[in-house]
Amino acid sequence: MTLAPENKTKKAKKLSMKARYEALTRGLDWEPSYVEKDEMFPHLDYEGIKIHDWAAWEDPFRLTIDAYCKYQAEKDKRLYAVLDGFAQGQGHLGLTDASYLNAMKIFIQGVTPLEYGAHRHFAYLARHFAGPGPRFAALCQSIDEIRHMQTEIHTLSNYNKYYSGFHNWPEEYDRVWYLSVPKSFFEDALSCGPFEFLIAVGFSFEYLLTNLLFVPFMSGSSFNGDLPTMTFGFSAQSDESRHMTLGLEAIKFLLEQDEANVPIVQGWIDKWFWRSYRVTALVAQMLDYMLPRKVMSWKESFELYFEEQMLGGLFEDLAFYGITPPRHVEDAIKEKEILSHQVYWTLYQFSFAAAFTTSAPSDEHMDWLSQAYPDTFDTHYRPLWEKEKKNIEAGGRHFAPGLPQLCQVCQVPMLFTEPGDATTFAQRESEFEGEIYHTCSNGCQWIFEREPEKYRQAWLPVHQIYQGNCGGPTVPEVLEWYGLQDGDAGEYIGSRDHRNWQAWQGEAAADTATPDETKAGA
Amino acid sequence: MAVKSMGEYDFPSRSRQELYGDDQLVSVWFQDTMWFASPAMFRAPRAMTWADFRDQMFVPFAEEDPDYDPAAPRTWMLHGAPFEPRDDQTLAELGVRHKDVIGTRVAA
Repeated sequence: MTLAPENKTKKAKKLSMKARYEALTRGLDWEPSYVEKDEMFPHLDYEGIKIHDWAAWEDPFRLTIDAYCKYQAEKDKRLYAVLDGFAQGQGHLGLTDASYLNAMKIFIQGVTPLEYGAHRHFAYLARHFAGPGPRFAALCQSIDEIRHMQTEIHTLSNYNKYYSGFHNWPEEYDRVWYLSVPKSFFEDALSCGPFEFLIAVGFSFEYLLTNLLFVPFMSGSSFNGDLPTMTFGFSAQSDESRHMTLGLEAIKFLLEQDEANVPIVQGWIDKWFWRSYRVTALVAQMLDYMLPRKVMSWKESFELYFEEQMLGGLFEDLAFYGITPPRHVEDAIKEKEILSHQVYWTLYQFSFAAAFTTSAPSDEHMDWLSQAYPDTFDTHYRPLWEKEKKNIEAGGRHFAPGLPQLCQVCQVPMLFTEPGDATTFAQRESEFEGEIYHTCSNGCQWIFEREPEKYRQAWLPVHQIYQGNCGGPTVPEVLEWYGLQDGDAGEYIGSRDHRNWQAWQGEAAADTATPDETKAGA
Repeated sequence: MAVKSMGEYDFPSRSRQELYGDDQLVSVWFQDTMWFASPAMFRAPRAMTWADFRDQMFVPFAEEDPDYDPAAPRTWMLHGAPFEPRDDQTLAELGVRHKDVIGTRVAA
């Protein structure tokens, strides 16, 4: 059968972007007739959040799927062109030093899997929210997150051809001790209800702390010759600002819907600020210790991206709704002078069991740290590194000959000190149904005591090793179970990456020297 | 405040004492040095004597510190108070519970 051609003289009227958006999102919503609405959306009541009018959700961005795809495809084309050029031109040899990649190893091991987790859970929100506006926003974010995971893998996979530590990150994420920090954080959020997840990840992580997490990483890559990661960062940045807008819209929507939502949301902000902040400890040490060419100190970054932008800007706006700055934020501010030093000192002495390497800071590096931390570095941390220098000269290398006690909530080794006292380790003990649990800080103890039934199930790597669940009782057996290979762990100086780097830099120097020598000979 | 959940929410601790048989977890907190970045955790039999715990677990860990002096007398803390363990007392007899933290420093 042949259809008669339509009258071509009549041009179909094109809808405006806004009208198309309305038609493709809200226009596709329907009222259920076979089931009740709460049967269709069964997860929306139990957290106690009351939503009276889902239509009041103001769409922070009006994208349709076709517009989204076009836009993202263009960005991806640019990124992949950069990746190809970098790979073909042996761009990795232009990095400041192979040790820079330790930061990227932690990124792919600890952050990339979170993107995938976010992809999954925003897809869940896109199914379970009862309003088409937030459902569509969650759907777009879900697609963003899986793209981020994919582009991060493609961006960093080039380094896997030449360097250690990149080859087994998905399994390491599930097994290795320091990666249980981001993993347990995200799985805590995944096992919350839909509204708490939105505040946990959409607001506390994406809005409050995303600049602190992403901007230093991306500036760090640009400062250290890592063009692909920098390009990925730019590509992700526009998505991140959309996610931040979504996070902010989400919290305002919940607060405006019902006054009874305010204390529930405040509790989630208090909890998730601290949970997210503890994860950023890994970024703190990266900024101050892992980047061969420094961008800014953790302290400066914290002051700019958190204290100024969030405490100074955002929370002043949220006060209108009766929201106060996160509980325990003062403890975080006090820690900005000491956090990176304590965390790196820990990674340094436990890197024999990690998928990255560490090294003692050089004299020049220590001078930079003294300048950046005039009140704490020379008093507390330079003496430790000087002692380690002597230890190394005497043939030693400080590796802890055992396993650390871990915090039951954030799962970081109990390395943090009392607020305002950098020489006394903090120990908090709580008892629940006859068993004791230890936490690293006022923040983590408060979180534990709020929901002890949840945190007593924590899969703490050290405890699991001692239960015999991690390959065996000895360190080599555990490392094999982690999937580590020679060159992944330990000291950077003399490591496989370091030796290769020196050899390749020598070859590169010889290559550039050759034409001149030929000329001279001719 | 309890976990808000859609159904009953009651699961056992993933590090309860029974998972370690006759052993338990014990941490040692070095209170007068920052050399060790955090307290160290060990798995030790409840019937282990203090002398064995000290010599087989504590000392091999502690002596990695170049300033560790094996001859220096030490003070010990348990449950927030000083205690003076005798060599022949077991951890159980000393009242060291599963996951307890024992503090230590060189005696002044």
